[in-house]
Amino acid sequence: MPSGNTTTASTACGPFPRRPPQQWHVMDPISIAMISDFFHPAVGGVENHIYMLSANLIRRGHKVIVITHSHGPDRVGVRWLLPGLKVYYIPFLPIASSATLPNFFTSLPYLRTILLREHIHLIHAHASLSSIGHEGILHSHLMGIRTVFTDHSLFGFDDAASILTNKLMIGTLKNVDAVICVSHTGRENTVLRGQLFERSEEDPEVLEVRKSVYVIPNTLVPEQFKPNAQPPGDTITIVFLSRLTYRKGIDLLVATAPKICALFPNVNFIVGGDGPKLIELLQMREKHLLQDRIELLGSVRPKDVLSVLSRGSIFLNTSLTESFGIAILEAACAGLYVVSTKVGGVPEILPEDMISFAKPEEDDVISAISEAIEIVQNGGHDPIRAHERIKTFYSWEDVANRTEKVYDVVMKSRQMDLMERINRTMELGPFAGIIYTIILLVDCLFFLFLEWWIPRESLHYVHHNWDQERFKEVVEEAQNTSRQD
Amino acid sequence: MVGNWEKVLWKKQAYADNYVPQGLYPASLQKNPNLRPYTYWPLVVLSCSITQHLAVIFVFLAVFVRLKEETLDPRSLVCLSVFSFFIGYITWNALDGSSRASEHFTNHLKTIKSAIMMFLALMSLSPVLRTLTAATSSDSIWALAAVLFSLNALLADYTVTEPKNAHEGLSSVLSINAAVSASVVLSSHLPTDASVFSLVLFSIQSFALFPSLRRRLQLLPIAAWLLTSLVMEVFAIWLFATLSLVVMWLIASVLVFVTFFAPAILLWAQRYKNILRGPWDVAVPKVN
Repeated sequence: MPSGNTTTASTACGPFPRRPPQQWHVMDPISIAMISDFFHPAVGGVENHIYMLSANLIRRGHKVIVITHSHGPDRVGVRWLLPGLKVYYIPFLPIASSATLPNFFTSLPYLRTILLREHIHLIHAHASLSSIGHEGILHSHLMGIRTVFTDHSLFGFDDAASILTNKLMIGTLKNVDAVICVSHTGRENTVLRGQLFERSEEDPEVLEVRKSVYVIPNTLVPEQFKPNAQPPGDTITIVFLSRLTYRKGIDLLVATAPKICALFPNVNFIVGGDGPKLIELLQMREKHLLQDRIELLGSVRPKDVLSVLSRGSIFLNTSLTESFGIAILEAACAGLYVVSTKVGGVPEILPEDMISFAKPEEDDVISAISEAIEIVQNGGHDPIRAHERIKTFYSWEDVANRTEKVYDVVMKSRQMDLMERINRTMELGPFAGIIYTIILLVDCLFFLFLEWWIPRESLHYVHHNWDQERFKEVVEEAQNTSRQD
Repeated sequence: MVGNWEKVLWKKQAYADNYVPQGLYPASLQKNPNLRPYTYWPLVVLSCSITQHLAVIFVFLAVFVRLKEETLDPRSLVCLSVFSFFIGYITWNALDGSSRASEHFTNHLKTIKSAIMMFLALMSLSPVLRTLTAATSSDSIWALAAVLFSLNALLADYTVTEPKNAHEGLSSVLSINAAVSASVVLSSHLPTDASVFSLVLFSIQSFALFPSLRRRLQLLPIAAWLLTSLVMEVFAIWLFATLSLVVMWLIASVLVFVTFFAPAILLWAQRYKNILRGPWDVAVPKVN
């Protein structure tokens, strides 16, 4: 079914400075709260996604705040990040890899105060391992706030961690207003994990996927990944850049790198990243005496990524699972030819002439790398052209625009009342349904208690937050003065 | 003109972001790939290793009761143990297809030496073992022994193949430990040093040595394997028949249940098996 809004979509997206602001708005400005355990100062894909999405929504005139947990030793309370993004660091302790314990109720006093004083209309929770995001979805309806959830990762169905997370997710996603996934594979996975099915309107026997599940890809700032201008010499450098863990397929790298070095005397490797598998790489390098062919950089800071990428002409990715693969996109944008394992959402992100796929098998990876070396040697890959093409594929303006449309649909839809929520929650099953309904009701009682204990009149409301026009004036003033100097 | 929907992210498509292609969704979902459904009779044959283990536990308990009531002479039990050790050892060697003949003689000498050492050590320890938990009340001992024997049956290694490394064999080591501890706590309720010695010797025979023999017996033709199981089960039931009819019916029903009903339950439960596979699963790297 073609969308009716596509014409507005194509005109609305585009380079930022050329259009007057009125034309971008698909909707009236609203106040949005991004809620996730994963945010700056931690570094990663989700963290960056939240920051960039917030910045682009602010640019469109919305008010955006971020709510996350505190980071030791002293990052607690309210901080401001550069484009006028207010961040609330709630004093919760993370348990493992920056995620907090799912405890359902403890965040309500904080969230209620923050969401009310900031006049929030809509919350946007990120990442399925972020329990504070799930709690935000659970609490928001009490204040009449709408909910959107973005899932960034893929999970299986057969290990203990996945089973537990999936159970928690089914409960919270039952009553969420919209779900966004970063790839089509990610959507198939999330739909199954979160049981996002609903009875069809025509035939109540048939289950179909909810209408409120969207696919909006992750993206990058193409201008930050400009390809290296000078053409490569005789030696071809293969860049490998990721955390060195099992899931990133380091076993495949360890098996293939010495064979590629033996097959092609003019090929070198640069490996960036740190992790538990570093030791295996070191052993491999020592065993095959490849110290001068394989360079190990250790961990690479985000701002140095481009300089590492621009040293090579082929990017190798051996991940065993990947929801979107932003690293591949960054490398392709920087003009590298990509060789990747065909897993998860990776086949969706680039057209087939910019990437060589391999099965996660040693022989197949070797033949894919050989093919890539041949293409690069014969000049079959033009870095500048690849960069220009990716510029047309992905941009933050497009993503922000598509996300805004989801917000618009959510804001215009009817909100469920409590009885409907209880009925839907009871559909979860004879055990889980009752447990989640009890949680829902206790949450309501807790909220009523808080309404009495901290009345809304006593809250310190934020009246003046951010003035887009004033900001523009200041920026233009600064530009003028710098030009005069 | 609207093109067909494609499963790609890089292309600007004329479909809304929440568009779901018609037909079966999710398209890349595989349900129960490579599933080989079980069939009933092979399961029954496999379940025999569990019933054999249970039968050994029941035989051991019957022997304990007889020793405690002094209806069984400990010296004849010792003789029987030594005799069955030799029978078992010969069978174990006869079923061994892999090892070379030249090493056999030194291996036999080593085995006999360690067997004699074990025998003497147990003999010298038996007075200590007899008083070890004598001060503990009988109720606690029965409960403890019951828990330890259940642990033994739960953790025992029922697989056909021999464990390749120490880590795989961990649960079976725990299982042997549980059974030997159970027999030690039980033996302190026996009247004489000789009976303590005979019981602990018998427990090592049945819980430490028999499982490795059982693994080799399982490689026999099915008829011989079933016959061994049947003999052991009947023997266990017969030992209890003269002690208590109620217990006899109880253990007989347990053995029948494990052999015939447990496989049927597993077959029935298989209809709920639902393995979901798709591109989101962590791939298994194939390295030569």
